[in-house]
Amino acid sequence: MEKTRKEPYLKNAMFLTDKGYKDLKKAIFACTITNFSMFIPASIMLFAIMEIVKPFNNESISWLKLWGLFAAGIFGFILIFICNKNDYKKTYVASYLESKNTRIAIAEHIRKLPMSLFNSKDLTELTTNMMGDVETSEHVLSHVYPQLIANGISVTIICIMLSFYDWRMSLAIFISVPIALFIIVASRKIQQFLGKRHAVAKLEASGQVQEYIEGIKVIKACTLDGEKSEKLNNALLNMKKLAIQTELGSGIFVASSQMILQAGIGLTIFVGTTLLAGGQIELIPLLAFLLIVTRIYGPINVELQLLPELFYHQIAIKRMRTLMDYVPMEGKETPIEEYNIEFQDVDFSYNKGKEKTISNISTTIPANSITALVGPSGSGKSTLSRLVARFWDVDKGKITIGGVDIKNLDPEHLMGYMSFVFQDVVLFNDTIYNNINIGNMNATKEEVIAAAKAARCDEFINKLPDGYNTLLGENGNTLSGGERQRLSIARALLKDAPIVLLDEATASLDPESEEHIQQAIGELIKGKTVIVIAHKLRTIAKADKIIVLDKGEIAEEGIHEILMMKKGLYHKLFSIQQESMGWSV
Amino acid sequence: MEESKKTYKTGMPRLLELAATKKPLVILSVILSSLAAIANFIPFIAIYFVIREILRVWPEFSNLNISELMKFAYMALGGMLLNVFLYVSALMCSHIAAFGTLYELKINFASHLAKVPLGFHIMIGSGKLRKITDENIEKIEQFIAHQLPDIVAAFVAPIVMLILLLAVDWRFGSAAILGMAIAFAMQILLYGKDGAKEMMAKYQTSLEDMNNASVEYIRGISVVKAYKQTVYSFQSLHKTIKEYTDMVIPYTLSWENPMSMYTTLINHIYLFLLPVGILVGMNTTDYRKFAITFIFYLIFVPSIAGVLMKVLYVNSDVTRIFNGVEAMDKILSEPELKQPIHPKTTESFQVTFKNVEFSYKKEEKIKALDGVDFCANQGEVTAIVGPSGSGKSTIAHLTPRFFDVDSGKILIGEVDVRDFTSSYLMEKVSFVFQDVFLFKQSIYDNIAMGNPNATKADIESAAKAAQCHEFIEKLPNGYQTVIGTKGVHLSGGEQQRLAIARAIVKDAPIVVLDEATAFADPENEHLIQKAFEKLMKNKTVIIIAHRLSTVRNANKIIVMDQGKVIEEGTHNDLVAKEGKYAAMWKTYNTTSSWVMNDKEA
Repeated sequence: MEKTRKEPYLKNAMFLTDKGYKDLKKAIFACTITNFSMFIPASIMLFAIMEIVKPFNNESISWLKLWGLFAAGIFGFILIFICNKNDYKKTYVASYLESKNTRIAIAEHIRKLPMSLFNSKDLTELTTNMMGDVETSEHVLSHVYPQLIANGISVTIICIMLSFYDWRMSLAIFISVPIALFIIVASRKIQQFLGKRHAVAKLEASGQVQEYIEGIKVIKACTLDGEKSEKLNNALLNMKKLAIQTELGSGIFVASSQMILQAGIGLTIFVGTTLLAGGQIELIPLLAFLLIVTRIYGPINVELQLLPELFYHQIAIKRMRTLMDYVPMEGKETPIEEYNIEFQDVDFSYNKGKEKTISNISTTIPANSITALVGPSGSGKSTLSRLVARFWDVDKGKITIGGVDIKNLDPEHLMGYMSFVFQDVVLFNDTIYNNINIGNMNATKEEVIAAAKAARCDEFINKLPDGYNTLLGENGNTLSGGERQRLSIARALLKDAPIVLLDEATASLDPESEEHIQQAIGELIKGKTVIVIAHKLRTIAKADKIIVLDKGEIAEEGIHEILMMKKGLYHKLFSIQQESMGWSV
Repeated sequence: MEESKKTYKTGMPRLLELAATKKPLVILSVILSSLAAIANFIPFIAIYFVIREILRVWPEFSNLNISELMKFAYMALGGMLLNVFLYVSALMCSHIAAFGTLYELKINFASHLAKVPLGFHIMIGSGKLRKITDENIEKIEQFIAHQLPDIVAAFVAPIVMLILLLAVDWRFGSAAILGMAIAFAMQILLYGKDGAKEMMAKYQTSLEDMNNASVEYIRGISVVKAYKQTVYSFQSLHKTIKEYTDMVIPYTLSWENPMSMYTTLINHIYLFLLPVGILVGMNTTDYRKFAITFIFYLIFVPSIAGVLMKVLYVNSDVTRIFNGVEAMDKILSEPELKQPIHPKTTESFQVTFKNVEFSYKKEEKIKALDGVDFCANQGEVTAIVGPSGSGKSTIAHLTPRFFDVDSGKILIGEVDVRDFTSSYLMEKVSFVFQDVFLFKQSIYDNIAMGNPNATKADIESAAKAAQCHEFIEKLPNGYQTVIGTKGVHLSGGEQQRLAIARAIVKDAPIVVLDEATAFADPENEHLIQKAFEKLMKNKTVIIIAHRLSTVRNANKIIVMDQGKVIEEGTHNDLVAKEGKYAAMWKTYNTTSSWVMNDKEA
C-alpha cells in the first residue's frame, strides 16, 4: 500500500505506469533527435549561401559543389523522414498503449471500491474520470509532452552553442522565449483570478438557465419568457460582461505571448542589421542566425498553443488520482453458517463528525423470519439496512452475522449471502434472459425460466417480440415500472441468497401490477432472513419483528399487536396511514 | 392545422449567419486579423532589402548606407510589433462580438422555449435543453472569437506568401510553390482515399462503443457487485477498450508515412530551389541580382513550414461546433404554440373533451387518446382511472394545452382551448403534478408566483390552507427563507404542499391534479390530502387517481383503457356494472390487504 520507493517526478506528475514512463522517455529522446536533424537542411543552406557569395570575395563559385550540396540535401531529406517516422511511432503508439493500461487499471480499481461510492458519488463524474480524463492524457502524451520537453532540451542546447558564437545575436533570438513563457505563467495567476470570477458567473447563469427550464411551466403560467425573466436576463448579462473582462484580461496574454515570440524574428533582424552596420558581425554569421531564427519559433509556438491543455491535464490527473486513492474495502472469506444479524451499539454518520444518521443501535434480526424497519422519512431505515451489506463501515460498535463481524469479511463475499430488491432497478442493455441470468451465472436455462415464472415475469416476457431474447434498450426503458421491479425480483430469486434486503416500492401502481409484485415478493421471501423497509405499514403487520426508528434511534420494537397497544410512534404512524388510505375526494 | 417548421442553413453558412449577429465587430476583427497576417511578412521583406543593400557594396563595407540599413531594421521590428498589435486588436473585437452573440442566442433560445408547447418540454427533458444552452451554444464563442479570425488569416497568409514568392522572382517562386503543391496534393489524396474514410468511421464507432460500455459499466456496478458479477460487466468493458486500442494503433500507423512525409516535405522546400538556383545562376548575366534573390529565397522558404502547419491546426474543431449549432437549431425549429388571432374568453368552466384523438409521436400507430368524449362538470370532481399507459396522464396534459390535439376538440365552457391566449388559459387552469418545482427565491415569492396581485394576508391564508404555515414558521427566516440556501431542506411532501399553496393563491376555476402517490411518509401524505381538499373546493376538478379508494366519492369516474373511455359513472354505478372498474376495485382491495408472510406454502 505505502509507496516507499521515490517515484521520478515526471512519472508521478503525469500519473504514468512504469512502461508508460519508459516510453515517454523514449519518445522525448526521439523528438529531440528529430529537432536536431532539422539542422541538416539549415547547414546545407548555409553552405550554399557561403558558396554563392564567393564571387564577391573574388573567389570562383563551384557549381559542382552546389550540386553536391543538393545531393546531401536529398540524403538529409531521407534521414529526416526516418526521424519523423521514428518519433511519430514512439509518441503515438506508446501513448495509446499507455491509455489502454490506464483505462483498464481504473476500471479494475473501480470494481473493487465500496458500494457506498456508487451511491454517494455522481456516476457521470466517475465515467468522465474513466474515459474523458484518460482521453485528455492520451492526447497530451502524444501531442504535447514529448515535443514540449524535446523542444525545451534542443532550444537550450542551441541557445548555449550560439551564445559562444555571438551572445548578442543569441540574446536577440532567445530573449523572447522566456518573456513569452513568463507572460503565460504570470498571466496564469490573473487568469485564475479572472477565471474564477467568470466561472462563478457562469455557474450562476447556468443555474438560472436550469431553473428557467425546469420551472418552464411556472414561467409560462406567469408569461416571464426570455428577457422578461429578470433573473435569467441579469445572470446572462453579467456573464457576458465578465466573460469579456476575463478574455480581455487574460486570453489576450496568451495570444500576445505567441506574438511576442514571433517578434523575435523582427528583433533578430534589427539587432543583426545594427551590428552589421557597426561592422561588428560578418554577413555569413548573420545569415546563419537568420536561417535559425526563421525556423526555431514554429515548433515552440505550436507548443504554446497547447499549453492550456497542459493546465487542463493537471486537473484531469488530480481527478484520476483522487479516484485511485480510494481504498478498497478488504476482508476475509470466512464462511457464514447462521444468519441471525446482531447490531451492537452501532453509530454511523455519512460525514465524520457531522450529525449521526444512526446512533447507538443495538438489536437483533432473527434468522429465517421477517424483520421490518419502519419510521418517518429520514429516520435511518435505508441506512441501517445498507450497513448490513457493508456499503459503509460503522463508526462505532459492530454488526455481526451468525457471530461473524462483517467488518472482517470481504465485501464481495458478504454480498454472496444477500439479495437486494431496491426501488431503483438497474437493467442492462442486453437480453431479458441475460438480465435475469446475472443473478446466478451458473444457472441452467430451466432455472432462469423458473425464476422468471416465480417472479410473475413469464407472461409479459412471452408477449415481447423475441421473448427471453428481447433486447432491452438502455436501462430497459421500454418496460413499465412494475415489470422492471419484477425482473429484479426474478434476479434475486435466481440468486437464492439466505438473506433478503427489501425496499418496498413507494409509488402506486395500478392494482394488477401491484398484485403481481406482491405475489413475486411472496415467492422471494419464503424461508429467508428478510429485512424489509416498509412504507405501507399494513403490509408488515404480520412481521416477526418490527423495529421503529426515529431520528436514527430505535423508538420501539416488537410485534404489531404489542406496538399498537403501546400507543407510541408506531401506533400514530399506522393510524394516520389507515386514515389517508381511506381518504376520498 | 398547418405547422410549418422553420428550417435553418447548416454547416459553415449557418455559422457565418450566426456570426453576423454582431456584423461590424466581426468584420472589423476579420480585417484586422488579415492585416496582421500580412504584417507578419514585413520582416522578411526587410531581410530582402538588407541582403540587397549588403551585396550591393560587398566587399567594401565602408560604403554601406548605414541610415538606409537602419531603416530596414526598424521596418522588421515595426512589422512584428504591428503584427502583434493588429492580432490582439482582432481578438478583442472578436471576443466582444462572440460574447455579445452568445448572450443574444441564449436569451432568444430561452424565449423560444417559453413559447413552444409545454408538451415539448415533457418529451425532451430538461437535461438536454440545459446542455444545449450551457454547452452547445457556448461552442459558438470558440468559432467567432478564435476560429473565424484564424481561418481568414490562414487563407490570407498563404495568398500573400504566394504573391511575395512570385513577385520577387517567378522562377524561384514557382519552384517553391511546386514543393508546397506536392505536399498538399499528397495530403489531399490521402484524406480522400476510400480506406481513410472507412477507417475514420470505424474509429468513431469503436470510440463510441468504448464510451457506451463505460457508461453502462458505471451505471450497473452496484448491481453486478450485489450479484458478485463484476467480472461479467468488466469483461465487456475490457473488450471494448481492447478493441479501441487494436483499432486506433493501426489507424494511427496508417498515417505514419504520409504524415512524416508531409512534415519532412514542408521543411525541405529549399531542395526545389537549389537546382533552379544552380541552373539560373550558371546562365545569369546579372550575378549580383541573382545572388540577392537566391539568398532571400533560401532564408524565406523555411518560414513556409510554420504557416502551413498552422493551416492544418485551424480546421480541427469546426465539426464539433457544427454539431452544437445543429442541436440548437433543431430546437429553434420546433413550432411555437399558435396564438389565436381573435382571442376569446369564457364565463363558464366545465371541461369537455369532444372526440379527442392524440398521439405523442405522429408516426406511432397506437394513439395515446383515441376518440375520447367526456365532460367534467363545473364545480364537480371528475376522476380518471385506468391501468398504466391507458391515457389518463395524457388527459391531464391536454387540458391546459401542453399539446394540441390531433383531431376533435377540448372546450372550456363553450370555447375551444385553442381560442384562448396562452396567458388567459394559464390564468384559468391550475395544475399540481408530482414534479414540483420551486425557484431559488423566498418561500413568499414562490407562493406569490401564482398570483402577483396577492396580498400578504392572501399568501398566508393560502399557506395555512395548504398545511404549510406551520413548517414555514419554523424555518430560520420564515416566509423570507430562500429555497436552496444552506441548511434549508424541505421534504418532498413539504415541497408538494408549497406547490399546492401556489395553486390556492392562484384561485383558478379549473384544477388539474395528479394524485400524490408517495407512501414514503404517512404524516406528510395526510397533510397533502388536507391541502388538496382546500384547493379543490368549488372548482372544476380533474384528478388522475392511482389509488382507487381516493376517488370513491368523486362525482364522476372515467375509466380509461388503451386510449379509450370504456366506462363512466359514479363508484357505486360502476361497481354494480361488474365491468372493468369493478374488477380493478376487487384487485385493489386484495392488494391493499396483502400482508407479507414467509410461512405460507
